[in-house]
Amino acid sequence: MLAVTFADLWFRARQFLIAVIGVGLVLALALALSGLVDGFHAEAAESIDAVGATSWVMASAAEGRVTAFAAFPQADLSAVAREPGVRRATAILFAPAQVVLVSGTATPQTVNLVGVQRGGLGDPQVASGHGLSGGAEAVVDSKLAAPPGSILHLGGHGYPVVGTVDDRTMTGGVPLVYMPLAAVQRAVTGGKPLITAVATTGTPTSVPAGLVVLPPSAVVSDTVGQLRTAVASIDNTRWLMWLVAAAIVASMLYVAALERKRDFAVLKALGSSSRTLFLSLVLEAVVVTLLAAVLAEFLASALTPLFAQPIDITPDTRLVLPLVAVTVGIVASITALRRVTGADPATAFG
Amino acid sequence: MSNHLVVDDLTVAFDSGGYVIKPLDGLSFTAEDGELVVLLGPSGCGKTTLLSCLAGLLTPTGGRIRFGAVAVEELRGPALTEYRRRTVGVVFQAFNLIASLTARGNVVVPMRLGGVPRHAAKARAGELLELVGLGERSHHRPAQLSGGQQQRVAIARALVHDPPLILADEPTAHLDHIQVEGILRLLRDLASPGRIIVVSTHDDRVSQLADRVIELAPHFSDADRPPEEVALAAGETLFRQGERGELIYHVESGLLEVYRELADGGREVLARVVPGNYVGELGPILNLPRSASVRALEASVVVGYTVRAFRQDHPHQVIELAAP
Repeated sequence: MLAVTFADLWFRARQFLIAVIGVGLVLALALALSGLVDGFHAEAAESIDAVGATSWVMASAAEGRVTAFAAFPQADLSAVAREPGVRRATAILFAPAQVVLVSGTATPQTVNLVGVQRGGLGDPQVASGHGLSGGAEAVVDSKLAAPPGSILHLGGHGYPVVGTVDDRTMTGGVPLVYMPLAAVQRAVTGGKPLITAVATTGTPTSVPAGLVVLPPSAVVSDTVGQLRTAVASIDNTRWLMWLVAAAIVASMLYVAALERKRDFAVLKALGSSSRTLFLSLVLEAVVVTLLAAVLAEFLASALTPLFAQPIDITPDTRLVLPLVAVTVGIVASITALRRVTGADPATAFG
Repeated sequence: MSNHLVVDDLTVAFDSGGYVIKPLDGLSFTAEDGELVVLLGPSGCGKTTLLSCLAGLLTPTGGRIRFGAVAVEELRGPALTEYRRRTVGVVFQAFNLIASLTARGNVVVPMRLGGVPRHAAKARAGELLELVGLGERSHHRPAQLSGGQQQRVAIARALVHDPPLILADEPTAHLDHIQVEGILRLLRDLASPGRIIVVSTHDDRVSQLADRVIELAPHFSDADRPPEEVALAAGETLFRQGERGELIYHVESGLLEVYRELADGGREVLARVVPGNYVGELGPILNLPRSASVRALEASVVVGYTVRAFRQDHPHQVIELAAP
């Protein structure tokens, strides 16, 4: 029956090609959506890991989210730093969703502001320009399109951009802007000595009341957790994409099965079983969806630049896609099952 | 191996829109090994139904089919599949080749379904296509072949397992006279010891080639036959739905009821026929089974006429093809 299956695929090549392209496009979009979800996690992990901390001390009210503005006195830094086992401790003030204007542009942009101590944990390693020197200056993620020399306007003050970093975004592609801690405190807390985290190497055994100690992995997952509604929506959309892919293959198979009604009757009259014929159709569907999956791998890479958010299509996701494609093919085949089992070999005479 | 085909009291009945249809009703015949048997009859007389039963594709309502030692109507499951694969070769009326496969591919399919290795199947297909004169066109798809060539491929496909029973349904129906000659000669040659060929056709010229002709519709004489008077008691049936008959009945006295027998055992009254009217003209004119039954509701007298006699004796009565 393999020969019949592949001969039919070849015979209906145009019909199948259209289905491959359609399903390929849908699978590519689904793949991109998977990459979008993974991208949320990847950007948070990259930005948090770049701090180089082994533990994070944060206000318990922050629920582990580095992006939550749950501030506590900077004086607590000393208490944490004195803890046995703590080799290094640095204060960080994370101020999410601040609106800035880059000189020479007219459109304000949203950034995540990070106040860091010069030479401490979190002080960024720049990709271009130079690092923070302690004044009222900024190092920005390259996505902000603010090259060294441009001015960042925030809260009525201008901050010269002295350097850029790559791949430092959070909360769905929002760029990070690093500034000296004091400058951020001036801009955000009115100069009050408040911070939102103490990054440490070594783990403190106890911390002041109202603070908790978290490993970086927990900070990453808790931070991404704030996007759970968006992630759930994307996941639902991804499921819909699988369904659309299955619907395309199913409709193609159904039409093919209708056209082959007489063939099925003849093949049954020649001694083929319903099971063999159905497996032949399943194979056709799986071939179509697997070809579509291959196409989707390429299309997804082409689609990635169209998204503003970071897209991280992991190798695992790429490996899972063929399995999804096979499942979609098998599910789609069920629509033609009745056409096959219902084919009466006696009608081959009619 | 010697084969012997016995069809005994074969009946096939089915429900069609609530009515009982019996394309075969008590058919019996035999065929000997090596014979070319022609099933002769017009469309609708049950030829294809009979072939379907012989091929194991349709289970009869009653009666039996014996091919050699095999009780065909009793076959089920794997035994039936094996019978279809190995014992019977079928040549369908409309060729029924798989459009996506080449001529050779079509011949290979039943062998692959039967577990024949690919190379052996291809070699055998090549031999058979040579046998039917299509060795040069084995790589053509059906759409690239003429009707006669497609029918030859279908015959080659039917021969793949060298089956002892070959069934051909109207094998010349879609062919011109040149192609007809070639196909008939091929079928005639294939009828040889170890094999029985059963060919259905409505063309009685084919019967000239047959060793045995089975007429599925009775052949009514065109000769004049004197009208016959039939007296019916109340409740007595004149004729039954599904029977064949050559007479049109004119009602002289009494009252007749025309009814259809339903699949659920009930009956549907179609009409009542009073003296001066006639009943039962469609079957004799078209040589079809009666499409309804007629019985007397009270003591009645009718006169039966052949179609020719009826036209002569009742020229003023126009026969309408609306009643049974």
